[in-house]
Amino acid sequence: MDNLLSEGLTLMVFGMGFVFTFLTLLVVVTTYMSKLVVKYEPAAQPKATSSRPTPTVAVQQGSDELVAVISAAVHKYRS
Amino acid sequence: MDKLLDLWLASGIYNISVGQLVMILVGLGLLYLAIRKNFEPLLLVPIGFGGILANIPEAGLAFSAVENAVHFASPELLANIASVLGISGIDPHDILHAYHTSNTSTHAAATLLANDNNFSNGMLYNFYTVAIASGAAPLIIFMGVGAMTDFGPLLANPKTLFLGAAAQFGIFATVLGAVALTSLGLMDFSIQDAAAIGIIGGADGPTAIYVASLLAPQLLGAIAVAAYSYMALVPLIQPPIMRALTTEAERKIKMVQLRHISKLEKILFPLSLLILVAMLLPDAAPLLGMFCFGNLMRECGVVDRLSDTAQNALINIVTIFLGLSVGSKLSADKFLDIQTLGILVLGIIAFGIGTAMGVLMAKFMNKLAGGNSINPLIGSAGVSAVPMAARVSNKLGLEANSQNFLLMHAMGPNVAGVIGSAVAAGVMIKFVG
Repeated sequence: MDNLLSEGLTLMVFGMGFVFTFLTLLVVVTTYMSKLVVKYEPAAQPKATSSRPTPTVAVQQGSDELVAVISAAVHKYRS
Repeated sequence: MDKLLDLWLASGIYNISVGQLVMILVGLGLLYLAIRKNFEPLLLVPIGFGGILANIPEAGLAFSAVENAVHFASPELLANIASVLGISGIDPHDILHAYHTSNTSTHAAATLLANDNNFSNGMLYNFYTVAIASGAAPLIIFMGVGAMTDFGPLLANPKTLFLGAAAQFGIFATVLGAVALTSLGLMDFSIQDAAAIGIIGGADGPTAIYVASLLAPQLLGAIAVAAYSYMALVPLIQPPIMRALTTEAERKIKMVQLRHISKLEKILFPLSLLILVAMLLPDAAPLLGMFCFGNLMRECGVVDRLSDTAQNALINIVTIFLGLSVGSKLSADKFLDIQTLGILVLGIIAFGIGTAMGVLMAKFMNKLAGGNSINPLIGSAGVSAVPMAARVSNKLGLEANSQNFLLMHAMGPNVAGVIGSAVAAGVMIKFVG
């Protein structure tokens, strides 16, 4: 009888400990994986920057002054 | 006149036992709960109907060929079966006991002898063998659940995995409760039975059925019924516990919007989980392996047809057979027992403790994070029961503050709970299986 109870207690301690260890590792792995992806993923950021010059080219034909103003603003915003 | 007598002797009214009558009423009760009260109808309709089918007298739908032979056979055949099983008497109880405890080759010999005498397995027995005894149905359902799960909220806030871990405490506390009842002499559970009962607290139907089929097949009917009934009762069981453990101010906490998750992250997550399982806990590989496979099909974007089948047609087909097979285990001699009462009581305690630990863990994490960033209400969603538990968190959040939408935040711990209970199941299978 006592044997069964201690078996149950062992199962609880080991089981709960293992569940926590496993999920903690999963948190670490997931966080690290997300960081790597955000850092190295090629798709997201270059697209955003490459889409910007295109409208500027279209505007260039309209007014050079406007382009100068916009690029100054962009410079200021970036710095 | 003789023909008329034969007909009467073969009728259900003449043959029905009290236990079968009660179990047919239990089956009708489950159908009532499913149809009228909308309790997990997708599972309880097949389970309830299967329970009725299994208890039709003389039809033997839930029995194997040998069990049917023992029920109907002439004394000569009984003597033959008894000699195959290596016992001398022809008392049906002794024969069935020897049959259930025999090794595989003797088992097969007895089955072939019964087949030679034109006895065959009942329909539900065949369903059970194919769907549950083989382990296939719960695993295929788990694949479908994987294909339906969006890990976005979890990836946006990986710390919610801790909530899914804390809520599994209910499982292990219940194991302890079950062995304590045995030590006190109130019940008679082995450590395997206790482990299978505890997994009800994981609030995950397929996991509970999978573990019960491996560790305690004789309790499977009661465990499955308890697991699915309590999942349906989540909106009633959880709110009082959640209100008792949180303050009004905590319930009002608004959480910041989740960041966007890229497709690549969603593809890499099931693969990382799979590798972690492969390295650390191969015993959880059947459950989590199928789960990851289903999720990868969903996220990779090149096998939409397979993903669609896994989360719709296939899961529906398998659910029908799983429900009927579970129903076949609702036989009077196994279900009408004091143990079933114990399982129902322990199951609801497991649920309550899991909910409470999830909320307390969320409170603790909120304290660590400065006291105003994690709403403790999302902790209760750590007991899987997707998506019901997350909806309950959302509902209580809206009660405290009508602009507080917690649903997506609660989905994180919710799917973490699925992973957590599958890991807990793997640990159980490893330690006591």
